[in-house]
Amino acid sequence: MSSFRLSKGGRIDRAKPLDFTFDGKPMQGFAGDTLASALLANGRQLVGRSFKYHRPRGILTAGAAEPNALVTIGEGGRTEANTRATLVELYSGLKAKSQNRWPSVDFDLGAVNSLLSPFLGAGFYYKTFMWPAAFWEKVYEPIIRKAAGLGRATYEPDPDTYEKCWTHCDLLVIGAGPAGLAAALTAGRAGARVILADEGFEPGGSLLAETAAIGEKAAAVLLEETLAELASLANVRIFSRTTVFGWYDGNVFGAVESVQKNTAAIDPNRPVERLWRLAARHAILASGAEERPLVFGGNDIPGVMMAGAMRSYLNRQAIAPGKRTVVFTNDESGYRTATDLEAAGLEVAAIVDSRVGAPSSWAGRAPVFPGAVVQDAKGGKALTGVTMIKGGALETIKADALAMSGGWSPIIHLACHRGARPVWSDAKAAFVAPQTQDGLTIAGSAAGVGALEACLADGAEKAGNVLPSLGFSSAAAAFTPAVDTATVAKPLWCVRGAKGKAFVDYQNDVHLKDLRLAVSEGYGHVELAKRYTTNGMATDQGKLSNVNAIGILAEARKVSPADVGTTTFRPFYTPLSFGALTGASKGKHFQPVRKSPLHDWARKNGAVFVETGLWYRSSWFPKAGETTWRDSVDREVLNVRKNAGICDVSTLGKIEIFGKDAAEFLNRIYCNAFLKLPVGKARYGLMLREDGMIYDDGTTSRLSENHFFMTTTTAYAAGVMNHLEFCAQALWPDLDVQFASSTDQWAQIAVAGPKSRTILQALVDEDICEVAFPFLGAKEVSLFGGKLTGRLFRISFSGELAYELAVPAGYGEAVADAIMQAGSPHGICPYGVEALGVMRIEKGHVTHSEINGTVTPADLGFAKMVSTTKPDFIGKAMLSRDGMVAQDRLSLVGVKPLDPATTFRTGSHILSEAATPSLENDQGYVTSSCFSPNLGSTIGLALVKHGPKRHGEQVTVWNDLKNEYTKAVLCSPVFFDPENEKLHG
Amino acid sequence: MVDFALFHRSALAGAKTGSFGAASTGSRIALTALSEGHVLHVLAAHGSGALRGLVAQIGDGGPYAVRAYGPGQWFVVGDAALSAADLSGKAALLASRASIADQSHGRVRIGIGGASVEAVLAKGTAVDLDQANFAIGHSAMTLIGHISALITRTGVESFELMVLRGFAESLWDDLVQMSLEFGVEAKTAD
Repeated sequence: MSSFRLSKGGRIDRAKPLDFTFDGKPMQGFAGDTLASALLANGRQLVGRSFKYHRPRGILTAGAAEPNALVTIGEGGRTEANTRATLVELYSGLKAKSQNRWPSVDFDLGAVNSLLSPFLGAGFYYKTFMWPAAFWEKVYEPIIRKAAGLGRATYEPDPDTYEKCWTHCDLLVIGAGPAGLAAALTAGRAGARVILADEGFEPGGSLLAETAAIGEKAAAVLLEETLAELASLANVRIFSRTTVFGWYDGNVFGAVESVQKNTAAIDPNRPVERLWRLAARHAILASGAEERPLVFGGNDIPGVMMAGAMRSYLNRQAIAPGKRTVVFTNDESGYRTATDLEAAGLEVAAIVDSRVGAPSSWAGRAPVFPGAVVQDAKGGKALTGVTMIKGGALETIKADALAMSGGWSPIIHLACHRGARPVWSDAKAAFVAPQTQDGLTIAGSAAGVGALEACLADGAEKAGNVLPSLGFSSAAAAFTPAVDTATVAKPLWCVRGAKGKAFVDYQNDVHLKDLRLAVSEGYGHVELAKRYTTNGMATDQGKLSNVNAIGILAEARKVSPADVGTTTFRPFYTPLSFGALTGASKGKHFQPVRKSPLHDWARKNGAVFVETGLWYRSSWFPKAGETTWRDSVDREVLNVRKNAGICDVSTLGKIEIFGKDAAEFLNRIYCNAFLKLPVGKARYGLMLREDGMIYDDGTTSRLSENHFFMTTTTAYAAGVMNHLEFCAQALWPDLDVQFASSTDQWAQIAVAGPKSRTILQALVDEDICEVAFPFLGAKEVSLFGGKLTGRLFRISFSGELAYELAVPAGYGEAVADAIMQAGSPHGICPYGVEALGVMRIEKGHVTHSEINGTVTPADLGFAKMVSTTKPDFIGKAMLSRDGMVAQDRLSLVGVKPLDPATTFRTGSHILSEAATPSLENDQGYVTSSCFSPNLGSTIGLALVKHGPKRHGEQVTVWNDLKNEYTKAVLCSPVFFDPENEKLHG
Repeated sequence: MVDFALFHRSALAGAKTGSFGAASTGSRIALTALSEGHVLHVLAAHGSGALRGLVAQIGDGGPYAVRAYGPGQWFVVGDAALSAADLSGKAALLASRASIADQSHGRVRIGIGGASVEAVLAKGTAVDLDQANFAIGHSAMTLIGHISALITRTGVESFELMVLRGFAESLWDDLVQMSLEFGVEAKTAD
């Protein structure tokens, strides 16, 4: 006989039937069911196959620790593998499938592994699949992975949304069982902002599952009253379906809330899961305790269940585990289950109590066998009976259900996430965590308290204790003190002499012999035993198995569990979906888009954009008839050099620098002199790191005595701003200097080419002739007859006569339009960053392709820029190190192919002409390359040993990735207009 | 001198507008692009003492015109655009005790309001927006998701977010997304 639904009782709503399917078979449950309880109600006890031996497995627990009842929920992109049926709230239309079986869960060919089991013990794979080495990755592992395992993920995209939220409270109470409810109520009454979080769909914890009375009051009545009062308190929030999974720095807790995992009708406006960051001034961990399985033969046969879980299914969902139940226990929990079963009219065949002095208070019908153990459970896909040993005699008892209880382990994971280690307590026969840590207190059975009344009292008392430190006067505790009447049994780590496999870790198919083997082979340390046997791995992380495994290791090593210790608890407490971790950061919300004020101007001029960090920069502006990007870029370059071009350079970093000491500050920041930069002038500056390597470059202009304007590269804008702030605040706090990032304030437009002055003069009110506004001029200018004020800089990246005009961002498009209009008779064209790049390579101007963190000023030919007279600047001290001035440092040169029809790529290496291609012969590498329409060939910049001394030397450019060899010649990095004649128009 | 048309393009000109998300939750969110008037970044000089009173003088007297940004730094905001002359007049008021960086085009203000506004913003910011902790007029620099913003409470159920111009549209899109469960009315034009 199998499990079934009783005709009355439970907390289910029999007026609300819910249809669902399991492996395609239609079934029905009720509101208030979990998937696990609904399967049991339908007589479905076999729900999965085990990891390694493909053994039939049933539902073992009623909570988060479930190792067996892992199912796949949903279809298509909503497929969710390895879901614990015990935590799935049943809903109408739910589709669940069993896992790790073929062709079906009832007939699974993988079960042949069970026959091979003598060969499949711990360490089997390590010992067996050693040779040949290459076979591991290519042959063995894929086969093993195919045979063993859990559910399979889908390749389809998840159609649902997820989000992350912050929230704040004075007191976070984790777990809404008796202790948690009492703590929340006490703190709530005192006026504290309280969050009570619980993983279940109904708060109450064990109060939902127990029939006990507290004083005169039934557990269910007490629960109802408490929840009603909590609901009336505006300062208390209850987060149901919310698992707190981690405790992090700053007393922030991570939690995941299931928002729409309990429905087939997903509202697209709401997330299906929400990841909470709970910032709590203090937290009370009231996560309860986990009942330990007993380790005997066949303890995994469907029908064997934790005693507490059986009680929970009986009392919450009116599930009868079978017709005839045997209870195997070493503590009171088994008796409570027997009591509830008999009260429901079900037969308890025997209570097998391993304790010799079993309590004599049992008043039920079932016979008690003190000092006896269940040695083996019998059956295949369902339990048929047990073999009991009493006084050396074997006795077989027919049964279709077996409840087991091996004592309780406090659930202390969260308390150990920030470094605290669990400590073995002989008195509690359990591992316990430090009871109070900064920001966290443990209460109730998580603190090792046993009896219900005592848990209520403990929660109330601990909340009361913490309230004064949070600024709340300690109100009367919600529950009065109570003595913990629960007794603690000596643990029974395993039953000796079992015939069948006695499982310790159900999920990983680790049985008693595996652990003993680990000890005998020298892997007895708890961390080694875990890896050797896989005990405590996978989705349940040993919630049920770890403590038994430690006890078994301790027995085998003849030491105390205290000497064995535990493995380390780390987040997450239970598995988390990647969706929840991703939150809203996917698709277009994956990262922000940063748009230049000229973005729409560029778009209407036909720009093709390229992502540059978060920015979208215009890379070229194709015209009709141009078929490749090179067509457009070549045209743009030639046109700028012949006529004029306009380019959006708004993305460069811009920083306003104020203060009496701004000049002195800049003098220390840059390696070249800035102290005496005249007002109205711009200067190219090189910023070094402390180690002497170049950090960033750009121009800085002096707009007034105490006001400078710095430009940085696009990539380093934020980094330079941080650097300046750090230097001002930490290195030289005595200097009067302030910084404002104005990158977004200005639309900055480069106008370059021989006709640029003529074009700009049409907009600028002041005279900008060579005399009035020479190279490196920088000043505020009036535009359009006084309608607008902008900033004009006479600087050039292209080597042409060029300007950069900055105007307030909102006018950027209008001004760019005006420049196009004024330039139209002069043949102006917009150009993008590709043409900009070609022109700067033609001129040998460097960017971060060359400033790659390994170059000094001298490496790039800037040795003379480095001040020898300044008392100090960042990087000065380290610049004279031997390695920084070594003669054979890689230095900047130009490189071009001997045959203009041939080409090479950036990143290729330079070899001496006759050298064998090898890294030993490496002379340097190409940092930038492009096709120069002015030179009619590929050109490149390269960092090469003794570079400047080797102009004219023939070399080979070597690309080993593509097997390309190009004959080339080293040359000056300035390919175009070496005398800078064009700069002045 | 050519006569060019000088038009102002608002940062959120291309942002999506209209009604999004849940239809009638009774706590819909209103998202509004605020006037791109003026935003002045005031930076106190070294040792210039308490300046809050002086900084208020360069504001337009509107509520929450002065917003604390960092130690010795404020944003002074208002709906009216300022001319260069207005600006130098205000700089003179500060009498070398502080500098002004004009950010009127670099920072964009977005208004967000509604009964669920705190719940929406909690999806982006780690700042505790409970009124007891974050009173009307209070400002804080924070991240809204991936985007940095200065958040100011302007009412029991209303806030202003000030964001870098380049990120304004992205933040707008994020705010719409964050508001869907309550429903949102997004308006850019006055």
